[in-house]
Amino acid sequence: MIETSGLILEANSSLMPWSLIWGIPYLGAAILALLYYLGYKNEKVFAWGSVLSIGIAAAIAVDALYQVLAKGPIYAASSKPWIAWLNVGIGVYLDGLGAFMAVIVSVLSFLIAVYSVEYMKGDWGVQRYFFFFTFFVASMLLLVTADNLVLMFVGWEGTGLASYALIGHWYTDEEDKWVGVPGRKALGIPMYFTPSHSGVRAILFTRVGDIGMIIGMAALYLLAGTFSIPALAAQASAGGWMVELASKGALTALLLVFTLGALAKSAQFPFQEWLVTAMTGPTPVSALIHAATMVKAGVYFMLRMAPVFLLGAAVSSLVAGQLASYFTIIAILGGITAFMLATMALVSNELKLILAYSTASQLGYMFIGVAAAGAAISLLAPGEAASLGVVAGLSHLMSHAIFKAALFLIAGWLIHVAHSRFIDHMGNYAKYMKVTAVSLWLAGLSLMAIPPLSGFFTKELTLKSAEEAHLYSVLALGVITAGLTAAYTLRMILRVLHLPPREETHAHPHEAPPLMLVPYALLALTALVLGLVWPWFSHDVAKAVSDTLGIGVSAEEVLTILQLHFTGVTYTTLGWIGLNLAIVYLLYMVWKVDFVKIIRENVTARRIHDFLYDRWYINSIIYIVIVGGFAGLSIILGGIDHIIDLAYHAAIPVLFALGAAGLRALHRGRSDYYLMLYIYFASTLMLFLYLAWR
Amino acid sequence: MEAPLVWSASIILPVLVGLAGLGRKKPGYWIAYASAVTLLIPFGVILASWSSGSVASPIVDTVKIDLSRYKIGMFQLLMDGLSLPVVLGISIVTGIVAYYSYKYMSVRIEEMEAHGENPPGLGTYYFLYNLFAVTMLGMALSTNLIEFYLFLEISLIASFLLIAYYGYGDRRKISLLYFIWTHVAGALFIAGVLYYGVKGGSFDVLSYSTLQGITYVAPAVSVIGTAAKIAAAAIILGLLIKMAVFGVHMWLPYAHAEAPTPVSALLSPNLIGIAGYALARFAIPLFPGIMKELSSYFIGLAIVTIVYGGLVALRQDDFKRFLAYSSVSQMGYLLLGIATLTAFGIGGAMLHYLSHAIGKAVLFIVAGVFITELHGLRSISRMGGLARKYPLIAAAALLGFLHLVGMPPALGLWSELLVTLGVVKAIPPVSADNVILVATALLLAYGVSAGYAFITMKRVFYGKPREDIPESVPDGFKQSVVLLAVLGVVFFLVVSLIIVPLQGSAETLARIVLGG
Repeated sequence: MIETSGLILEANSSLMPWSLIWGIPYLGAAILALLYYLGYKNEKVFAWGSVLSIGIAAAIAVDALYQVLAKGPIYAASSKPWIAWLNVGIGVYLDGLGAFMAVIVSVLSFLIAVYSVEYMKGDWGVQRYFFFFTFFVASMLLLVTADNLVLMFVGWEGTGLASYALIGHWYTDEEDKWVGVPGRKALGIPMYFTPSHSGVRAILFTRVGDIGMIIGMAALYLLAGTFSIPALAAQASAGGWMVELASKGALTALLLVFTLGALAKSAQFPFQEWLVTAMTGPTPVSALIHAATMVKAGVYFMLRMAPVFLLGAAVSSLVAGQLASYFTIIAILGGITAFMLATMALVSNELKLILAYSTASQLGYMFIGVAAAGAAISLLAPGEAASLGVVAGLSHLMSHAIFKAALFLIAGWLIHVAHSRFIDHMGNYAKYMKVTAVSLWLAGLSLMAIPPLSGFFTKELTLKSAEEAHLYSVLALGVITAGLTAAYTLRMILRVLHLPPREETHAHPHEAPPLMLVPYALLALTALVLGLVWPWFSHDVAKAVSDTLGIGVSAEEVLTILQLHFTGVTYTTLGWIGLNLAIVYLLYMVWKVDFVKIIRENVTARRIHDFLYDRWYINSIIYIVIVGGFAGLSIILGGIDHIIDLAYHAAIPVLFALGAAGLRALHRGRSDYYLMLYIYFASTLMLFLYLAWR
Repeated sequence: MEAPLVWSASIILPVLVGLAGLGRKKPGYWIAYASAVTLLIPFGVILASWSSGSVASPIVDTVKIDLSRYKIGMFQLLMDGLSLPVVLGISIVTGIVAYYSYKYMSVRIEEMEAHGENPPGLGTYYFLYNLFAVTMLGMALSTNLIEFYLFLEISLIASFLLIAYYGYGDRRKISLLYFIWTHVAGALFIAGVLYYGVKGGSFDVLSYSTLQGITYVAPAVSVIGTAAKIAAAAIILGLLIKMAVFGVHMWLPYAHAEAPTPVSALLSPNLIGIAGYALARFAIPLFPGIMKELSSYFIGLAIVTIVYGGLVALRQDDFKRFLAYSSVSQMGYLLLGIATLTAFGIGGAMLHYLSHAIGKAVLFIVAGVFITELHGLRSISRMGGLARKYPLIAAAALLGFLHLVGMPPALGLWSELLVTLGVVKAIPPVSADNVILVATALLLAYGVSAGYAFITMKRVFYGKPREDIPESVPDGFKQSVVLLAVLGVVFFLVVSLIIVPLQGSAETLARIVLGG
C-alpha cells in the first residue's frame, strides 16, 4: 500500500498572496490592453509595465518556493466556487513541483522580458507584443499552479492563444520574417512559412491535442466527480476511477486521449511540425514560449499526472498493466521525437531552426524521463517509479529551460548582427564578442551534456529511467541522440563563432547592449553553476519532489535515486558524445570539408540531406494527406451543397412550373374541351359519390 | 418570483419606440438610443436579479392571458434558468446592434437611393427591427405553444420585410425564399402543435406557481397516446428546418448573407438558435421517449452538421456567406448538446446559444464595418492585412472567433466543456471503442471549427495590407463591437451567474427524460 501522507486535500493557506503569482501579470495585461484601447501607446510604459508585473510575480514565486521547501506544500482555495455547476474553484496548489515550475517560469520570463525591452524597441507592434507577453506569463503561471484541471486548462489555452498571437506577431508577412528557404518545396509542398501561416499552424496543431485533453477531463470528472488534482489523486490511491476504467479495458485509450494535449503542446511526434515553424515569432518569444516554458507544459502535465496515475497502479495490477502500456507508448513517442528532430538539426542552416529542432528533441528526453519511469511500474515500486520520473523530467526541464533560453537569446542577437537567419551568413563572431562567445559555449556544452554542466546530470537521469524500465529501444534512441546532439551543437558553435562566414556579409559584429547581454550571460552562467552545485542542489529537488501529490516516498529514498552512479550506459554515452565531437571537429576545423559541394555533386548525399532538411517529409505528408484531405472534402461538400441547392431551388420550382404549365394547357379557350372536361370530372365525382353511398 | 410588467414592458416599449419612428425618412439619433435602451431592459432585469441574489428563481410577468376556456391554455411570459442565456443573448445583441444599425442603415439607405431605389426610411427600419427583436424575446419567454407560434410568425414577417426592403443581391427572390422556407418549417410546427393541442385540450407546456415553481405538463404520449408520434415528428422536423441542420440548411446561406448586416447579426445567432431552444424547452418535456429514441441519430446529425457547415464555410469567398455557413455548423453544437439529453448537454447547448450569439454578432458587425467603410467589401480574397488598419476590429473578431471555437477568455469555453461532458456522459468510456468513437467525432467536429475560424482570421486580417485602405477612426459605430466582445469575456468570468440557474432547469429536463 502506498502512502499518501504528502497529499493535501484541505486548503491550508489563503488565496492571497499566492493567487497573485498569476493575478498580477493578468492584471498587468488587462491594464496594458485598456491603455491601448484608450489610445495611450507610450512604448516604455508598455515594456516596463510588463517587466514590473512579471517581476512581482517572480518575487512571490520565489517566496513560495522558499516556503514550500521550508514548511511543505501550500494549498490555497477559494471558499466559493468559480464555476458552480462543476464545482470548480480558484485554487493554488504549490507543492515542490508547482513551486519549482512557478520559479522557473517567472524568473525566466522576467529575464526575457528585460531582454525584450531592448530587442523590441521601435517595433510597430510593441504594445501588442508586451500585452501578449504578459498575458502569456500569467497563463503559464496559472497553468503550473492550478489545483484543478479546469483552471489548468484555462491557463493552458491562454498560453496557446498568446503563442499564436506572438508567432504571428509580424503578421504583415515580410520575407525576412519567414522560416525556411523561400521557394523551396518538398514533394510539391512549399517548405517556407510566413508568420501568419505559422501562427495558424501552431494553434491548430495544439488545438487538436487540446480537444483530446478536454475529452479526458470530462471523462475523469464524470467518473470521479471532481476536477481537483489532489482529489483525483486521493481517489486513484483508493482505486476509484482508475480501477473502473481499467476493468472496462478503457484505461490506456482514455489516458492516451487525455495526453494528446500534452503531446501536441510539447511538440512530440507526430505533432512536432508546429514548433519548427513557430520560429517566425520574435526571438525572445522563441526563447520563452517555444523553448523555456510553454512547450514544457506538456512535460509538466506528465509530471503532474504521472504520480496520480501511479497511485492507482499501486492498488490494482489490472491498472498497472494498462498503465505500463500507456507509459511505454509515450516513452517510445519521446524516443522517436528525440532522435528524429536531432537528425534534422544536423543539416539545418537556420540558426533558430537548429535550436527549435533541438528543443523538440530535448522535450523528447523529458518525456522519456517521466514516461519510462512510469513504464517501469512492474519493476519498481510505484512510489519509486513516480519519483524517478518526476525527478528526471523536472531536472531536465529545468536545466534545458535555462540553457536553451540562453541559446535563443544569443541567437536573437546574432541574427540581429548578421541581418540574416542563416548561419552561412555568420562567422568568426568569437573575435568580436567575447562575453557572447563564452555564453554560447557554456550553454552549448550544457546542451551537449558535457560534465560538469547541468545538462549532463539531467540527461543522465532521463536515460536512467529508460534503463530502469528495461526499455532498451528507447534507451538506444536516447544514447544515439545524445551523440547527435553534441554533433549539431558543436557544428553550430564552430560555424558562428570560429569559422569565417561562408557567404560575404556587410555586417559589423559587435557586443550586445547590456539589457540583452546580461540576461543571456546570466543564464549561461547558471547552466554552469547549476551543474557545479548539482550534487547539493539535487537535494532540494529531491525534497521538493518527495511531497509531490503524496507519492509517498521520503526525501532520502529520492536522494538514493539521484545519487550519481555511473553505469555502463553513462560511459557509453560519454564515449559516443566524445566521438561525435571529435568527428565534427575534424570535419570542420581540420579537414575543412565542403559539405555544400558534396551535396551538390553526390546524388546519395543530396538525397540524405534533402530527407533530413525537409524534415523527413513529414510536413509534406501532413499537408498532402490531412490538409489536402480536408481541402478535398471541403471541395466535395461544396459540390454537394450546390446539388442540394439546385434540388431545392431549381428542381422543385421547375416541377411546380411544369405542373402549372400542364394545368394551364388544359385551358385552351375552346368550349368543346371545357364541356368534355366538365363531363369527365362530373361523372368521376358521381362515380365516387355512388361508391361512397353504397 | 412574480414581477409586475417586466417582460410585457420589455416587449411593448421597443415597439412603441419603433412606432414613433414609423414612416420617418431619417429620425435623429434618439431612435437608436431609445431602441437600444428599451431592448436592453431584459438585460437590466437580469442584472437586477443578480444583484439581489435571487439568481435561481424564475421571473414571471404578472400579465397573463388566460385562454383556457377556448382550450388554448395560458399565455405567460416567464424566464427561468433554461431561457436565461437565450434572453440575455437576445437582449444584448439586439440592443447593441440597434445602436450600430444607425450608421450602417443610413449608409445602406443612401446607397440604395443612389442606385435609384426607394426603400422605406430609417424610421420604418427601426420599427421592423424592434418588432423583430421583441418577438424573438417573446418566443424565449413563451410557456405555451400557440403563444410561441404567434411570436414566431410575427418575427418571420418582420425579418422577411427587412430582407425584402433593405437586403442585398436579388433581395426580392431571396426574401421570398426565406419566407417560404421558414413557413414550411412554421407550418410543420403548427400542424404538429395543433394535432397535439386539439387532441390534448391544451397548448400549455409549462406553468409557474409561487409554491411549486415551474411544472411541466405530462409527456404527450400519456395524454394523446401514440398520436404523440405524429405530433412529435411534425414539431421536431419543423424546428430542425428552422435551425437549418444539415440537409435542410439551404435557405440559411442566402437569407443570412443577403440580409442587411445588422439583421444578419440577429437572424444568424438569435433567431435560428431559438429553434434549438424550443427543442429543449418544448420537445424534450412533451416527447421525452421519442427524443430518447432519436438521441443517437441526432448526435450523428449534429456531428455531420458541424463538420459539413464548417468545411463548406471554408469554400466561401463572401465573408457574410462564410459566417452563414458557420452558423449552420454552430447549430450542430446546439443540437449535439440537446441530443445527449443530459443536464450537461442541454445546459451546454443553452449556454452555447449565448456564446454563439455574442461571437457571431461580433463577426457580423465586423463584416458590416468593412461593408460600410470599404465600399461594400465582402470578398475574403480581396481582404487580407486588415488588422494593420483596423486593430480594434481585429481584436474583436479574434474574440468573436474564440467564442465559436470555445477557447478562453471567451464564454464559448464553458459551453464547449458542458457539451463535451454531455457527450461523454451519453457515450461513456465503458470500452476502448467508445473512447475512440467519442474522440474521433469530437476531434473532427471541434477541429474543423478551429480550422475555419483561424484560417479565416488569417485570410481577413493578416498578410500584406492593401495600399488603398485608409486609416480607420475608432468611432462609436466600431466601439459597439468592442463592447459586445468584452461582454463575452465578462460572461466568461462570471459564468456562474448564468449556469447556476441553468443547472437546475437542465437537470429537471434530464430527469423528465429519465422518468419518461
